[in-house]
Amino acid sequence: MAKNISFKDFDWVLLALCLLICALGTMEIYSATINAPKFAESHLHIKQLYWIVAGLTLMFFVSLINYEVLLDNAPWFYLASIFSLMAVLLFGRKVLGARRWIAFPGFHFQPSEWVKLILVLAIARFFMDVRNRELSLGELIKAGLIVLVPFALVMKQPDMGTALTYLPPLLMGLFLGGMKMRHALVIVLLVGLVTPIAYKHMKPYQQQRLTSFLHPEEDSQGSGYQVEQAKIAVGAGGIWGRGLTKGTQTQGSFIPEPHNDFIMAAFAEEHGFVGAVVLLLLYFLVLMRLIHNAQTAPDRAGAFVVMGIVAVLAFHILINVGMVVGFMPVTGIPLPLMSYGGSSVLFMFLALGIVNNIRMRRFVN
Amino acid sequence: MAAKSPEHNSQRRVYWLGGLLLAWAALIALRLVQLQVVRYGEFHERAQKQQQRTFEVSPRRGNIYDRNGHELAMSVNVDSVFAVPSEVRDQEVAATLLGKILKTDSREILARMKASHAFCWVARKLDAQTAERIRALNLQGIYFQKEPRRFYPNRDLAAQVLGYVGMDDDGLSGVELAFDNELHGIPGKMAIQRDARGRYFSSVEHQPEPGQNLVLTIDENIQAIAERELERGMQETHAIGGTAIVENPATGEILALANRPNFNPNDTRHITPAQLKNRAVTDIYEPGSTFKIVTIAAALEEHLTRPEEPIDCQMGSIVVAGQRIHDSRPHGVLDVTHVIAESSDVGSIKIGMRLGEQKFDRYVRAFGFGSQSGIELPAETRGLYKPISRWSKVSMAAMSMGQEIGISAVQLAGLISTIANGGIYTSPRIVAADVPNGRFEVNPAFQSTSLSPVTQHRVISDDTAQEMKQMLRAVVLDGTARGHIDLPGYSAAGKTGTAQKVDPATHAYSKTKYVGSFAGFAPVDHPAVVIAVIFDSAVGLHQGGQVAAPVFGRIAKQVLAYWNVPHDLDLNQDQRKRVLRAGIADEGDETSPDHIGGVVDEGTNSGMANVEAQLTAPAASSQVAATPQVQPAKLAAKEHPKSVVAAESQPGVSLADHAVEADGSVVVDVDGTQVVPAFVGKSMRAVVEMAERASIEIEPSGSGVAREQSPPPGTHIVPGQKVTVRFSR
Repeated sequence: MAKNISFKDFDWVLLALCLLICALGTMEIYSATINAPKFAESHLHIKQLYWIVAGLTLMFFVSLINYEVLLDNAPWFYLASIFSLMAVLLFGRKVLGARRWIAFPGFHFQPSEWVKLILVLAIARFFMDVRNRELSLGELIKAGLIVLVPFALVMKQPDMGTALTYLPPLLMGLFLGGMKMRHALVIVLLVGLVTPIAYKHMKPYQQQRLTSFLHPEEDSQGSGYQVEQAKIAVGAGGIWGRGLTKGTQTQGSFIPEPHNDFIMAAFAEEHGFVGAVVLLLLYFLVLMRLIHNAQTAPDRAGAFVVMGIVAVLAFHILINVGMVVGFMPVTGIPLPLMSYGGSSVLFMFLALGIVNNIRMRRFVN
Repeated sequence: MAAKSPEHNSQRRVYWLGGLLLAWAALIALRLVQLQVVRYGEFHERAQKQQQRTFEVSPRRGNIYDRNGHELAMSVNVDSVFAVPSEVRDQEVAATLLGKILKTDSREILARMKASHAFCWVARKLDAQTAERIRALNLQGIYFQKEPRRFYPNRDLAAQVLGYVGMDDDGLSGVELAFDNELHGIPGKMAIQRDARGRYFSSVEHQPEPGQNLVLTIDENIQAIAERELERGMQETHAIGGTAIVENPATGEILALANRPNFNPNDTRHITPAQLKNRAVTDIYEPGSTFKIVTIAAALEEHLTRPEEPIDCQMGSIVVAGQRIHDSRPHGVLDVTHVIAESSDVGSIKIGMRLGEQKFDRYVRAFGFGSQSGIELPAETRGLYKPISRWSKVSMAAMSMGQEIGISAVQLAGLISTIANGGIYTSPRIVAADVPNGRFEVNPAFQSTSLSPVTQHRVISDDTAQEMKQMLRAVVLDGTARGHIDLPGYSAAGKTGTAQKVDPATHAYSKTKYVGSFAGFAPVDHPAVVIAVIFDSAVGLHQGGQVAAPVFGRIAKQVLAYWNVPHDLDLNQDQRKRVLRAGIADEGDETSPDHIGGVVDEGTNSGMANVEAQLTAPAASSQVAATPQVQPAKLAAKEHPKSVVAAESQPGVSLADHAVEADGSVVVDVDGTQVVPAFVGKSMRAVVEMAERASIEIEPSGSGVAREQSPPPGTHIVPGQKVTVRFSR
């Protein structure tokens, strides 16, 4: 099979769209950090370029490995990720009260990022074997457990933001896998009941983030401050924006993490409504292109993998952009392809590699 | 539905997903419209509010020029010091160092630094030396900003007319106040951008818009004459206050307006309210006899009397409404001319009673009393003039001789101008024009004395005015001002006034405090100039003729010579008369006008007759007398090369001897002495700015281009020693 695949079938349009977003992202990272004393010497935009190049290499490499091989080995990957998450809890480096990284000589490794992708594969693998039109309760619980175990482990770190990103692939799988409406209603009710209890068990900073989202004006210095500053930045951008390196909210470090979680706010300030809408349009095209690839996937498993990736990506964008415009609480979820960060970039290109892997094999079978 | 395959079902769900994504994107886009388009202004403002600290940058205040384009007030850029406290490494050390240099409390500076992260003033409008010392500290976070400081090159010349400005360049009195809007300009803005931690990261400056220049009708040279003579009069009379106004009767232009006491507007810390007050405009005084002009002019105009009509002055006593009024000196029968000339109260009352209240009131108002003259100076008084309904039975009589009415010096000048101008009242003006800031071009229209009058109206006919002129000339020739006015070659006319001041404690007329005034014009037939002089509470001699008329004469003499007004009298005869009179008076080294006056007064007509009798005798010292006396200036700043005195001296005196051109840079020696730079050949502004840079105090005189300086360039001087620079055009 591998002999017949051709890079003519590679989704160049999707790659171009993603690289375009990366370019805008790198540009904004440059603008947001160049005048900040904290980052002036770090040249984060250059580092981001290195990550993108590394990501591209990884993408082409991954696209050559048959996804069926990946799916076949998904259970092993899954086990490995559970172990790595437990290792983090046992040996991880504690930074700002959370164990998220394992320190290796020379770099830090954050397993929870990779678990996302493995979960996408694992869920696809699970639904590959479920051929029923409707999902039984037992199957539903099994699928749920696949995700809830790593979810719980990551929550324990604690890293609610990342843990939440594990849920979309599950929901996507359930949704496409034929979950019954009454099951869905029960889940919604359960979540509704559990949330207040969960709130009580949250860390104080997490609670605060939620309350300040609901009442931003009561907390103008904490995370409410961040949301307010992001909103001011977006609003002050106006229709055309204030220009690259000209956004005073961005340049004056009023926006928290303007190169990372709040890069959308910096971008919207400096490039205005027009720039923000163009960026949203690019993301929309990327998602639609991915969905198109899912529909043309050679099999059910491939479609589930791609749609799982769509779910993860869409969730990130939804939460991040929603946070910047004041729709969502502050969760620490980066904007894919835009935000600075090696894990995030590598995850995205790895995912693109898998999508193309599936796409290139659509006529093979 | 049920027949559909799972694949088909998930296909359908995929479309659902696409739709959801689209809906989400649309929702975000709508939110962006709300934030970035609808509420843009609100967020933009919020961003600015938290990021910017704006500070005003003073605009350059417009200059004030005299009619010849000489600077009376100008603005010089000097250094102000501000701190960006977040950049100052050790605020306490910095504050201590700055406090030492500035001689202020360092705790105060420290408190200001603590109050703001982004900006605070340390000290404003410093002299060059202090700024240099602060610059030498080379402190981090301490910056300099140029700000204009007001400078009055002639110091106290026309101080009350010009006024002064406060630290923020706001006019606080005089035309500086009255024309503050025009002069001030539009402030610029320095916007300091601060980041989330309060650090300063950039600043934007909007250039201020300079103010308009103002050209006054004042002639610097005439003003200097008036100031000098008023000062001399003050010293001779020991009065507590004095005013001299020089006006062009035809146009109402105020050529000079001087007050005593006065102040130096460069040194605003030591100004007292008494000095500040422009008494010529703001103060009311009871005019006394000068007001009889109104009574007699009105009666003549109404054909109720004639200049030669004999009036029985009843030996100086009249009873009006049961009250007896006395003349200061008893007179028998006088013609109307001599009622004025001898200033008979009884005669004036009798003539005034003929007018009746209505007519009298009409003329008083027509001559400009009871209302503001409209001169462009702040806080002008209307005077005190009661409406007829509030007159008492004696009011008519009292006002006929200038009591029960309060007027200002400017109103007095207006009255005399009306007579001098053939019966046409002209409202006074002191501002010629405002012109755009920048390089000032002298407008010939301002230099000539022909600015069109603001408003005019006829009060009395030309014939009446001519009769009045002759009667007022009689005051000078053989009336109350006889012998007090030394004006060779010119005829003069005017009226003396001596009013008892009302004691504020007893509300009765004081027996010791008088306001002596003289207001007149010269030459009589074609009056070039009206001069009003008033002294408040002169000690000793106090009558208008004695205290004010001599000052009138001295100012008139110099102004007429300055303008080269053709003589209308035989100069030689007049001079000889003068010399002889001087001989009669005493053999002293000074020709004191008071002495002359005294002699003539005591000798009544005989003294004068003696003078006339000796006219035929050749005067040995006429040559000396023919040369106008050069009076050494009491203050260097008032010495004007272009004034009469200098104008008549040799014009070709080379002043370039000292013009050794150094490059103008200043070397400050180690021992603290400074080297005087070469100022010669530079404009006043350049000289002032050079001196500011070099921390050298200069004493400028005249205006235009620097012609002479003392000490010469290259001389070492100690700080504080002044360099005198003479300017001329």
